[in-house]
Amino acid sequence: MQEDYVNIILADDDEDDRMFFTDAFDELKIGTQVTTFKDGVYLMDYLNTDDCKLPHVLFLDLNMPRKSGLECLNEIKSNPKFNDVAIAIYSTSASEEDIERTFVQGANIYIKKPSSFKTLKKVLSEVVTTNWQYHTNGLNKDNFLLRL
Amino acid sequence: MPHRIYKAPWFIKSIFFTCSFVILIVGGITYRNMDNLSKSSNLVTHTYKVNVQLEQILSYLKDAETSQRGFIITNDPLYLEPYESGRENINNSFVELRELAKNNPTQQKNLKELNKLIDTRMDCFQKSFRFSAVTDLENPNFKEYFYDGKQAMDAVRVKIKDMIALENKLLNEQQETLQSNLKFTPIFLYVVLLMSLFLMYIAYSRIASNLKKLKTSNAQLKIFKESANLSEIVSHHGNWVWDVEEDTYTYSDNLYRLLGEEPNAFEPSLDKFMEFVHPKDVNKLKLDVEKMTETENLPFTYFRVVHKNGKVRHLKSFAKKMVNSEGKTQLIGTTADVSEETKSFRLLEERNLELERNNKELAAFNYVASHDLQEPLRKIQTFLSRLEEKDASKLSDSGITYIDRIKTAASRMRLLIDDLLQFSRTNKADKVFEKSNLNLLLEDAKQDLVEIITREKAIIHTDKFPIIKVIPFQIQQLFANLISNSIKYKTKDRIPEIHITYSKIKASEDANLKKTKKTFYHKITFTDNGIGFDNAYAEKIFVLFNRLHNKEDYSGTGIGLSICKKIVENHKGFIIAHGTPNVGAVFTIYLPTK
Repeated sequence: MQEDYVNIILADDDEDDRMFFTDAFDELKIGTQVTTFKDGVYLMDYLNTDDCKLPHVLFLDLNMPRKSGLECLNEIKSNPKFNDVAIAIYSTSASEEDIERTFVQGANIYIKKPSSFKTLKKVLSEVVTTNWQYHTNGLNKDNFLLRL
Repeated sequence: MPHRIYKAPWFIKSIFFTCSFVILIVGGITYRNMDNLSKSSNLVTHTYKVNVQLEQILSYLKDAETSQRGFIITNDPLYLEPYESGRENINNSFVELRELAKNNPTQQKNLKELNKLIDTRMDCFQKSFRFSAVTDLENPNFKEYFYDGKQAMDAVRVKIKDMIALENKLLNEQQETLQSNLKFTPIFLYVVLLMSLFLMYIAYSRIASNLKKLKTSNAQLKIFKESANLSEIVSHHGNWVWDVEEDTYTYSDNLYRLLGEEPNAFEPSLDKFMEFVHPKDVNKLKLDVEKMTETENLPFTYFRVVHKNGKVRHLKSFAKKMVNSEGKTQLIGTTADVSEETKSFRLLEERNLELERNNKELAAFNYVASHDLQEPLRKIQTFLSRLEEKDASKLSDSGITYIDRIKTAASRMRLLIDDLLQFSRTNKADKVFEKSNLNLLLEDAKQDLVEIITREKAIIHTDKFPIIKVIPFQIQQLFANLISNSIKYKTKDRIPEIHITYSKIKASEDANLKKTKKTFYHKITFTDNGIGFDNAYAEKIFVLFNRLHNKEDYSGTGIGLSICKKIVENHKGFIIAHGTPNVGAVFTIYLPTK
């Protein structure tokens, strides 16, 4: 039965945001299993353990202490083990540089954290229900930043 | 004479050679003429001598004849004496004549014939002597011999006459050839001399004019030297010449001044110069000087000097190796006082560092504004939305009103942060101009505003725009700001309608562009039917945070139009607003064509 769940991981240093995130998935009622990490170091330590269960979608905050989202993205993309993991950038800012850099490094989508809970739920459900295996083929910079 | 030839450098040289040649010719001709003259006088003498000898021979014969006749008449041997000496004298004359005629075969032949004739005559004399008046004058033999003597004498006379005539004729002929040569010589010589005089005059005038020019150039050179001295003082530089082989130096006056000394205060030398150089720079400068002697062009050398009064000045030197007209190696150099430049360069560097620091601070502020300020705000908004959703039923009516008020305030704060960010982004340095289709940029701007446009049912009329080199995202921002501005300040009873027109204009034909640099401008106007404004505020509305309306009525931040002005200024253009209350506003943008 475990296989029916969509496995989701979030790395974000902000406690409130982690709470909004898990609450949103709880209310969405899609079969998901959400794991959260406090920063990039905890995340990578977990991902690099041998028996870890790889997520379907990994949400990365950019601005984190110790190891930033960008550094995590770099490590993940240089390791073929994580080829099938879809990566969503989940950040407060949507500056051109951040969007450009993460796109070049191979992230799948860029989400600017919404300022209403309703929109957050909409965004997360959109991302989780997307078939990323299929979506990667049509990847381009214009639809990289998620607009709703 | 063409001026070009007159000016040619070979001109004087060729005149000199021509004149020398002429003098040689004149000399040659004169020599030949003198030779001819002496020849002609020799000829005259020669003819004269021949004639005299011939006349003498005739005279001796006549004497002999007279003496023969005397003897025949008197039979006295006394009369025979001239006859006796006659033969000898004739022979002497013949010797002379042979000598004189040795170059003339005709006369030699004539002489032989004359000799024979004389012999015949003498023979007749000999024969006639056997007779005498006393004895047998009537003897027929005597008569015959006597007659023969007369005949011979006549022949001699004729011969001598012929010879004299021939000699005279020869003289005349030769004289004529010599004379004809001599006849044209004086005219020729005169003409040639005149010509060479003329050439010499030209050469003289040329030399004189050259001399004059040389004097003028010398005077100018003097002025240049003086002005060079003055300019050295003004521009704080001095020059020097180093005669490498003789190791002697020449310093210009101002070079002494650069060292804090009076002109010619000391004998210039390298060691003396080094005494002024800052102790820390001496070794470096010595190395550079060594390099100077090795390479043709050495790079600039920088060093410090210390004046006697302790003042430190920064100097810069540059030198070039040259070989002068005498084949000596010289190093010609210029030294300039760059203390002021060094000082202002330092100041500039400090300012740059400060500017860089300020820029970094600004970037940090941008980040704070975009990230750190937005984060708590976003959370407030999210929590509010959660509160509304989950606990609205538990709140009192006033609680719900308060939540609404908090929401409005938070939205406004978001608007302010977004606008401020946008404003600071238009200030950023990386402005890339690209050829852009303005119509597409306008469509994108409308797309950004699609929500508000559809809500207000705004009508937008658009001209066809050309493709212009602009910063695309900024122009899109400009269009979006102007459209949203027009819709925001609509009247309550009219549907907002915006006319966007384009034309290319000449700066001189537009009253707003009187003092501009460029000739042609793109003119884009946004005309709306909104509430308009009092034209007294036409300039004020572009000032940051300046608002004409209460924020309860109109939700402006006072940043949008400032951004517009900034963007247009980034494109070296102008934006001008014109308002009529309750009729509408016109925003005109001018962008230079190039």
